[in-house]
Amino acid sequence: MRRLFTLILLALLATSVNAKTPVFEIEIRDNLFHPAELVIPADTKVKLVIYNRDATPEEFESYELNREKVIMGGRKANIFIGPLAPGSYPFFGEFNPKTAQGTVVVE
Amino acid sequence: MLIDAVILVLREVLEAAVLVSVLIALSMHLRLRPSWLLWSVPLALLAIVVFASSLAAITDALDGAGQEVANAALQIAVYGLLVVIASRCFSSLPQKKRKQSAVYWLMMLAVCFAMVREGSEVWIYVSGFAAVEDYRTAVYLGSAIGASIGMSVGALLFAVLRAMPESYSVRTMLLALCLIGAGMVMQATMLLEQVDWLPAGKSVWDSSALVSEQSITGELLYAVFGYESSPSYLQLALYLASLGLMLAVILLARRNAGKRNV
Repeated sequence: MRRLFTLILLALLATSVNAKTPVFEIEIRDNLFHPAELVIPADTKVKLVIYNRDATPEEFESYELNREKVIMGGRKANIFIGPLAPGSYPFFGEFNPKTAQGTVVVE
Repeated sequence: MLIDAVILVLREVLEAAVLVSVLIALSMHLRLRPSWLLWSVPLALLAIVVFASSLAAITDALDGAGQEVANAALQIAVYGLLVVIASRCFSSLPQKKRKQSAVYWLMMLAVCFAMVREGSEVWIYVSGFAAVEDYRTAVYLGSAIGASIGMSVGALLFAVLRAMPESYSVRTMLLALCLIGAGMVMQATMLLEQVDWLPAGKSVWDSSALVSEQSITGELLYAVFGYESSPSYLQLALYLASLGLMLAVILLARRNAGKRNV
């Protein structure tokens, strides 16, 4: 049983490493996302690495992408998105919703 | 900033307020004192402060999946507790005392766990922005308004549940617990998809044009049903499975209680 569990775990690890997930970076500076528009390939799982360069915390949130994550000031966070159909998917910073806005464009 | 704070805090408080109202109404139906809430609040506050202040470390844990895994674990734990609570609502007289004292502590724990995630978000927001001089008043005032509206909705729901005829209100409360529980599982699924612990697929439908998650209706539906305008297949499947499981447990418990009473 234990061996089986280890095997499953290894298999899971292997698939996540082998998949060669493309990585895209976003920075938060002065409560703004840079870049505010990010183009990613369609039908592909993508890893977003979001760096919060501000001292204040931010929450990356997107209803369209079904994602939400708190990023403390001066820290980074990983978020996986996709595979997605072509289209544009807005996201925003929940702590500064008026300024911190961006879009993931899937092509 | 003021309106942002109102909306943010309202969203977070609403979900907990709905759960608390249903559980208090249920404990009053079971002739249980709802004083478990007095234990939940300080305990949850302590957990919130500890969780929020170590969030940076939690986020980096498990190769960057720590925040999601911790939150998903809490939500799945709430679901488990709600299943046990619901199954213990039917009992014959001799067993009643013992079973009910367990329900008292289970409710205390469920509310405590449910408050940690949303509570720590509010804590991080308020403590982060109240530190900035220009924002302070707006953040405090907005948070107070948002929290009051959220709690008022909870109080209103409680009043409605208490005003219903007993047989209706129990059914409504148990159904509400099923929906809240399944919503928690769905949220947990989303979080695990977010860190690639579960495979994310395409969404089954997109009802955002019909009911946006950002609208008041959307937020209320989210608090009660865990409404998601574009769920993935896995989210939907696990939502239905956890809803079905909980309903089955309740029906089975009711049948068993009925047999013992005869």
